[in-house]
Amino acid sequence: MSALQNILIFAGAAFVVIACGLFWRSERWQRARARFQGDRVGIISLLIVVFYGLVGLMDSVQLSAHGKEMSMIEYMFRNTPNERGYSAPYADTTYAVNRPEPLKGRHWFGTDVLGRDVLVQTLRACRTALIIGGLTSFIYIPLGTIFGIAAGYYKRWVDDVIQYVYSTLACVPGILLLIAIIMVLENVNIPLWNGDTIQIPRLVQMSLALGITSWVGLCRLIRGDTLRQVERPYVEAARALGQSNWNIITRHILPNVMHLVLINFVLGFSGLVMSEAILSYIGIGAPVGTASWGTMIDSARMELAREPAVWWNFTAAAGALFFLVLSLNLLGDSLRRAFDPRASGK
Amino acid sequence: MTSYFPLFLCALLFLSGCGNNPHPPPLHETRPDGTPWRVSYRGFPDDPRTLDPQVSYDTTGHAIISSIYESPLQYHPFKTDPYELMPCLLDEMPQRIKENGGRETYLFKLKKGLTFHDDPCFVASGGVGREVTAEDMAYVFKRIGDPKVECPILSTLQDYVVGLKEAYEEARKTGTFDYSKPMPGIEVIDRYSFRLRMIKPYPQILYWFAMPFTAPVPREAVEYYDGKIHKRVQREQFKFHPVGTGAFRLAEWRRKGLIRLARFDRYNATTFPTGGWPAADDVRFRPMAGKPIPFLDEIQLPIIRESIPAWLLFRQGYTDRSGVGKDIFNTVISMSQELTPEYRARGIELYKDPEPSTYFLIFNMEDPVVGKNRKLRQAISSAFDEELANSIFHNDTYLNAQQLLPPGVFGHQPKFQNPFKQHDLALARKLMIEAGYPEGRDARSGKQLELALDATVDDPESRQHAEFYRSQFETLGIKLKIVENTWSRQQEKFDTGHFQIIGYGWQADYPDPENFFFLFYSRNAAPQGNNYARYANPEFDGVFEQMRTMDDTPERLNLIYKLNDIITEDCPWVLEVHPVLFSLNQVWAPRVSSNPLLAGGSKYTNVDVELRNRKLLEWNRPILWPLWLALGAVVVAVGFGIRWNRRHDV
Repeated sequence: MSALQNILIFAGAAFVVIACGLFWRSERWQRARARFQGDRVGIISLLIVVFYGLVGLMDSVQLSAHGKEMSMIEYMFRNTPNERGYSAPYADTTYAVNRPEPLKGRHWFGTDVLGRDVLVQTLRACRTALIIGGLTSFIYIPLGTIFGIAAGYYKRWVDDVIQYVYSTLACVPGILLLIAIIMVLENVNIPLWNGDTIQIPRLVQMSLALGITSWVGLCRLIRGDTLRQVERPYVEAARALGQSNWNIITRHILPNVMHLVLINFVLGFSGLVMSEAILSYIGIGAPVGTASWGTMIDSARMELAREPAVWWNFTAAAGALFFLVLSLNLLGDSLRRAFDPRASGK
Repeated sequence: MTSYFPLFLCALLFLSGCGNNPHPPPLHETRPDGTPWRVSYRGFPDDPRTLDPQVSYDTTGHAIISSIYESPLQYHPFKTDPYELMPCLLDEMPQRIKENGGRETYLFKLKKGLTFHDDPCFVASGGVGREVTAEDMAYVFKRIGDPKVECPILSTLQDYVVGLKEAYEEARKTGTFDYSKPMPGIEVIDRYSFRLRMIKPYPQILYWFAMPFTAPVPREAVEYYDGKIHKRVQREQFKFHPVGTGAFRLAEWRRKGLIRLARFDRYNATTFPTGGWPAADDVRFRPMAGKPIPFLDEIQLPIIRESIPAWLLFRQGYTDRSGVGKDIFNTVISMSQELTPEYRARGIELYKDPEPSTYFLIFNMEDPVVGKNRKLRQAISSAFDEELANSIFHNDTYLNAQQLLPPGVFGHQPKFQNPFKQHDLALARKLMIEAGYPEGRDARSGKQLELALDATVDDPESRQHAEFYRSQFETLGIKLKIVENTWSRQQEKFDTGHFQIIGYGWQADYPDPENFFFLFYSRNAAPQGNNYARYANPEFDGVFEQMRTMDDTPERLNLIYKLNDIITEDCPWVLEVHPVLFSLNQVWAPRVSSNPLLAGGSKYTNVDVELRNRKLLEWNRPILWPLWLALGAVVVAVGFGIRWNRRHDV
């Protein structure tokens, strides 16, 4: 299982690298890269996002060590002991008012109610956030791009149908739609070849639900830009040269709207990470045993209300979430400036 | 100025209505003799779903119903170890008469002169409540058998009361219950006496007579309050318009707002007990012995769904009692599990009451892995660190369950130490080897043992519980998968048996060992019964059948010990805790009854109204300095503004 998981993770990472490489050589991307290199905020944001990505990747790679399977993060923190309940950051004893007990080790971010190191939990939650963000993007970006280009390029009834679909979806409040889809997916059993059935894993359920509800914005954006692109001379020239629709879309229009996809992906990613936290907060998020910032924040409802308050669990999760979302937003802004300096007023 | 004057007056009028007291005014300020009107204020978690005593089967409903309706018997308010029944509507305890052929009958005699609350349903008497008679008790049993009433204890009683099952089946076939037809199980002897005929011995039947299910209801009220329109006026349904014999009547029910109970002036079913209280409370209770009850004139139950506002109202003195939730536990309870000095200084009283219930994890005995491997079950039970769970989830307040029976139930052994409940990891690992899973791996295949636990994970605490279970299984090298279910799916799994391990808790209907051990009786297996483990052991069944109908004798005790030993060895459950309820009462409203099974204990309580009024003033003195500070800041700001304007000639 771990081998399969490792293969899938590396395949995913390779896909992202190849996708970026495909457009890297285009003149527009070259100009954008040059502009981006001079954007200090963008580079720092990118480094932070890459750091989060590496942490998530490290928790996804499974190793066999000490007779059991563990992730690289677990392996790195294998000597961090579990305590008997809460302990404050870098404290000597547990946080129990009744019977404080000496700790077995030091915990920079303290420990949670079950005595687990909060730093480890926070780092491990990166993986959940990245899986949700990555898998959902994998679903909604092709949907939004394909439908957007199709609507903008073919116009007429194709445009009408696609507009009706996304307008209908946009009418339903997002969070309600998410809950409804997850509730339906919870009851879906997939038959296996051996006659057994399995449920769709919770993280996949969440990604599917988020994917179904997230493509509308991108589709509108791409449709608008495609409508603009098809009127431009280079598309007309391609048509005059007898290029097929497929060639015009894939070789001319797609590369010219791809920067919008990239910016939308980066900005949308932060929204998806937040959505994961929100879904976990309302109790339909990450399953038991999966570290998640949302569930950590959800636990804080009780922890902050108790006396004395336990603040470090919430602080660590909210802090990690804040820095990732902030970095993604800043990176998104930088990319927008890099690709479209006029629109950004530079 | 003139145009603003009416507005100013209106504002003053509105402000004059402002106050700290969140409660509506009581029905009266003083009693006819001039003494203060005694009102008790208690936050109530939610509206009851029904106030029909033959239908309600939840603690919210019973808490109200037990004040409005009386049952033939009741629990003694002070005797909890063991629990004891005493007559309430009855003149004396029922006589148990053994007949030929192993059958039994019980002879009941009602007190004379007991009346229902006054209500318009008593048309013949002009709204004055009539006397309670034996016919009303026969009517109760007919209601229990009526399929339209949907009495939840029908399935239990129909196996024991003669004719109940037949009456139910006939009504189901015909679509209507014939109330004019006598039921052979209930024979009305005279106006106040009736006989209950049993199919087979069932001494526990008396406990059902101490619950609201057997409380008499007037037939007039059931028929009058039909929810239909009569003479252009819609009548309420009976389930929302109770007419009982209890110490209080329902005076007002504003949904999601307030339930108001008022004293029933002609209440004469019981008086304050003449003994039975702890010796330490003799000075307090002796003066009340034998006095007429209730002491209170009114009870206001504001519906407060959230725990924090409920606690804040108690802290301010606006409610008389409160639970001690997990979130506020450490502010109220000290290291020694007593009140913290702040709350002790306020005179608040703390009570710790073990509940007659047990929480546990169930192994599915039909499962090929856990069900067929006793050593594995023993190993898991031995590895469980219940002390840690108690510390994390219950602030060290619950009792570590060493046996099935909770304290107070006949057969509970206070010194019993379950050999598989000692959190002995060495023993657990040894048992794992004997079970064929050294270090949690299958000795033959080398594969890690993977088990599944079904749970409803719908809030942070249940998630933490599930995570805790995972960590406990991990100590044995077992990988535990948590199967998250909705509440309804979890219930379905109890019935279908599609689980390996599942969490459950059992609160006694009545404090008899039969009501606990029947959870392992093979003929009570799910889905028909509550034996969710599907435990089937002929030896256990034989001993249980002997024990279940016996009186509490030393012979019965020996059989209970034997049952306990069988369960301990077979380990079909991982026993967890017996809950202990922590509660607080204000100094002006000390608690009287310590019996958690007595839901209608309000009739014994009292309040010192004058002390409450004094304390309310003392605890809720307005803090005016922020107001003065803000006012000062405004004056200074206005002054500066005027000066600045003048300087700049604006």
